[in-house]
Amino acid sequence: MTTEIVEYEKADFEPGLQREETEYVGKGTKDRSFMSLIGKTKSLYRMGSLSFWMVLFLAIIIPCASFLLLAVSPRLFGQGSQFFTLSNFKAVFNGTTMLALTNSLWVASLAALLGVFCAIPLAWLFHRSDLPFKKVFSAAMWLVLLIPSWIPAIGWERFVNPEGILARIHLWAPWQGNLIMGPFGIVLLLGLRNIPFSYLAISNALSGLGQEFEHSAQVHGASRFQTAKLVVPILFPAILSGLAIGFAEAISDFGVAATLAYSSHFTLATYYIFQEIGNFPPNFPVAAAFSWLVVLAVAVPLYVQAKLSRGRSHQILSGRSRQVVVKRLSAPVKAAVIFCLCLFYFVAVGIPTIGVVSSSLLSDFGSSLHITFINYEKVFTTAGLGAPLERSIEYAAITASITVMVAFVAARKLTKTKGKSAKILDFILLSSVALPGIVFAAGYIFAYNLPFLSKIGINLYQTTTLLVIAYIATSLPTNVRMLFGSVSQVSDSLNNAARVHGAGPVRSWLRAILPPLSRPVVTAWLLAFTAILLELPVSELLYAPGSPPASIAIQDNLGNYHFGIGMAQAVVATFVAFAVVGTVFALYRLIAPRGWRRIGGTARV
Amino acid sequence: MSESVTVENVSKVYGKSKYALQNVSFDLSPGKFLVLLGPSGSGKTTLLRSIAGIEKITEGRIALSGKCVADNKVHVSPNERNLSMVFQDYALWPHLSVLDNVAFAMKRYGLRKEDRREASRKVLEKVGLSSHVDNYPGELSGGEQQRVALARALVGQNGLLLFDEPLSNLDADLRDRLRVEISMLSREMNATSVYITHDQSEAFALADIIGVLEKGCLVQMGTPEEIYSSPATPFVARFTGLAGELRVEVEHFLNDNSAVVRSFGENAKPFIALGKGTDKAKFGHVMVRPAAVQLCSVTDDNAHMRATIKDVAFRGHGYEHVVMLEDGAQFANILSHHKHERGTGVGLIFNFEGCILFPDTTPDRELSDLSA
Repeated sequence: MTTEIVEYEKADFEPGLQREETEYVGKGTKDRSFMSLIGKTKSLYRMGSLSFWMVLFLAIIIPCASFLLLAVSPRLFGQGSQFFTLSNFKAVFNGTTMLALTNSLWVASLAALLGVFCAIPLAWLFHRSDLPFKKVFSAAMWLVLLIPSWIPAIGWERFVNPEGILARIHLWAPWQGNLIMGPFGIVLLLGLRNIPFSYLAISNALSGLGQEFEHSAQVHGASRFQTAKLVVPILFPAILSGLAIGFAEAISDFGVAATLAYSSHFTLATYYIFQEIGNFPPNFPVAAAFSWLVVLAVAVPLYVQAKLSRGRSHQILSGRSRQVVVKRLSAPVKAAVIFCLCLFYFVAVGIPTIGVVSSSLLSDFGSSLHITFINYEKVFTTAGLGAPLERSIEYAAITASITVMVAFVAARKLTKTKGKSAKILDFILLSSVALPGIVFAAGYIFAYNLPFLSKIGINLYQTTTLLVIAYIATSLPTNVRMLFGSVSQVSDSLNNAARVHGAGPVRSWLRAILPPLSRPVVTAWLLAFTAILLELPVSELLYAPGSPPASIAIQDNLGNYHFGIGMAQAVVATFVAFAVVGTVFALYRLIAPRGWRRIGGTARV
Repeated sequence: MSESVTVENVSKVYGKSKYALQNVSFDLSPGKFLVLLGPSGSGKTTLLRSIAGIEKITEGRIALSGKCVADNKVHVSPNERNLSMVFQDYALWPHLSVLDNVAFAMKRYGLRKEDRREASRKVLEKVGLSSHVDNYPGELSGGEQQRVALARALVGQNGLLLFDEPLSNLDADLRDRLRVEISMLSREMNATSVYITHDQSEAFALADIIGVLEKGCLVQMGTPEEIYSSPATPFVARFTGLAGELRVEVEHFLNDNSAVVRSFGENAKPFIALGKGTDKAKFGHVMVRPAAVQLCSVTDDNAHMRATIKDVAFRGHGYEHVVMLEDGAQFANILSHHKHERGTGVGLIFNFEGCILFPDTTPDRELSDLSA
């Protein structure tokens, strides 16, 4: 063995950065049985690692890769005669299909711009001004984020419908329908939905951006305008992030595409894929080729944003927290800002809520304003109407629990290991973020419906199991990203300190690692739960016949003109989502020790 | 009861052949304070973590009070080594109060909760944090947090205390104060201590014994006085504080421990340096400690070399000068009670006690070519 002394940086020796983790081995003994126990522990670790990769392989890589490969090699999957062809791409570039793509591109671009345009002042107001109730306004942003996009879409639809609430209070005019049921309404809805994403990206940067940059510009003679010109580019990566994420979210969205856009006869890319697969006979190769374009449209801006952000000001921004001077707003300005914010939330949350709730309380047709609870009564008393919601709650709870566990392992792997495996994992998860839910679901339909799987005894297609696996696979990338930040902040030395001061492996994990991560884990669980409770694209393509989840049942009722029942189901489902969020947080507050709840307290320096 | 530490031929290899530690051996008697000194990447953290049991060694043996805790077959886990440690980043559990952080270290003794808390309160009082027992780490300053970490390490009254650069994140004033506390409290407990740092002044101030590490090897171990007066290698000399280095010609050896040397330069005069002369080398390097240089008038006949003042700084107890020698080399940290203005010429007088000669092993001809 050749030996080599290498000058290491200290970081090279940080155990957290090593590939093989230090394994503590209990009592010091040379007993053979003990050594065999070590062997067993290692085997278990390897088996666990292998299972983790198997899950990723079967749940993410195989379905997506085979579906996308189908576009160029249909014969490989028994879908055509050619092993390699680009003809499916040619088919995509015809008038109708191209229209869906171009529609999506410009709508998503405008929605991304709208998101960032609104998010910048909001972030500044909530982080840099003494605006009253800013915590309430800031928290309300989560409402926009938690509600799936199709709920506000149907809310708006019902709001401006000729038999909706506006008409019944005699305020309806045709222009309202024409405005909302078209590109303007679609951009507005997708843009409003983008605001929280852009807001989070920009406010993170803004809260870390101390005023020393402004001060140093001012003391060197810069005017207000010049100072702004100097400081705004520091936020440029965050603004770019907001734009890229907003664009990716808007182009991947299926909720608005399948509801408001569909009703407006304005075809968007994700709905086109759904149609190609849902038609009889399904045209998988063309759907796959089209999916390539959608994935590219999502991946390119995300990639560019990641490239641009790297090596820019994130290091400056993520340094130690700086004192931020809060701008004092005058009373009239405060009043005006609060009015604008109320208006914003009224448009983003209020109107769709009025649309959904009023429809659930009114008769489906007619012009009377008679309030009735019959729809709710039916939802709670008719088995066929309540069951989908119960089913969705069950699916969401299972999905969230498994997702959080797998995501935790993945986040640990990403932060604590170096080398190829971490890079591959990072690539898989990042790529999955760029895959719209509908492409994911299409991959599942295709991969798990292949005849050879049936021959080897795997019959998952059209089963609840496959639906839940797909739910987990779609939730996993976002969940890992969410937990990654928190997991990476927990230093190995916390665990080492516990071990050195007498705690065994289990106790040190429970006492030193779990508590600081408890809140992010609970939050990640809730986000996964609420996302799956009313999930639409995967459910549309993969639900088991006879066992529709809540989103499908609601869509079915709306499609069959049972607006009241559909809306009542939507209201109840949304209420359940918020009730679960509220209950879990309340329970956490009640049960978790005080120290667990106050992680993240700022240091006094 | 204080523990002895035996480290025998310990190596730690990362990957296939990257040595973080190579054949490190030493014995530390009970109650002694050992400081492991070395730059980043020298292996000091790895060595400390190996003693703690956080790292597994690849080869060799570690024993605490004669009991083997690590060799190529055995690895006693950290919680069974009966030691305490202060971490560089404090490693305080953010969800536990100051009191609970400290009391945690007592759990292994099976004491009642109240007894644990009582003992922790006493130690917190000792480190001046009795008014912060109910605070959480996030509410404390860096210095206060490190005091909590120190209290946690002291509370169990373990026989072995490990310190992983505990002062490196603190500002200068706080470092001095905490350093004194660490020194006093660990000796009060009569614990054996292993402390790692890259700061030579911290090492000299704290240690009974200093071990200097370079690229994974323990290059010298001895008392602070031994390390300072007789550094084993130029690396040790440089790392423990120099005013500067001189390329010299060895005129002759006086005995086995000193030689007359002369630097290269028009006005250079011979002076005595300490150094082993068994190899009778013609050339060498003289490492000059700051205290061994005295500034004098440029016309002083006793001056061994001439130089020009490049910079001067008032240090309270005198003026610290930076000078440039005739060959362009710089000497720094030269203290004088008189201020010499920038740009003025001065003479340098070398005191042999702080001039350490390291004869060159390179062939003489090459060296004479170089010096020419």
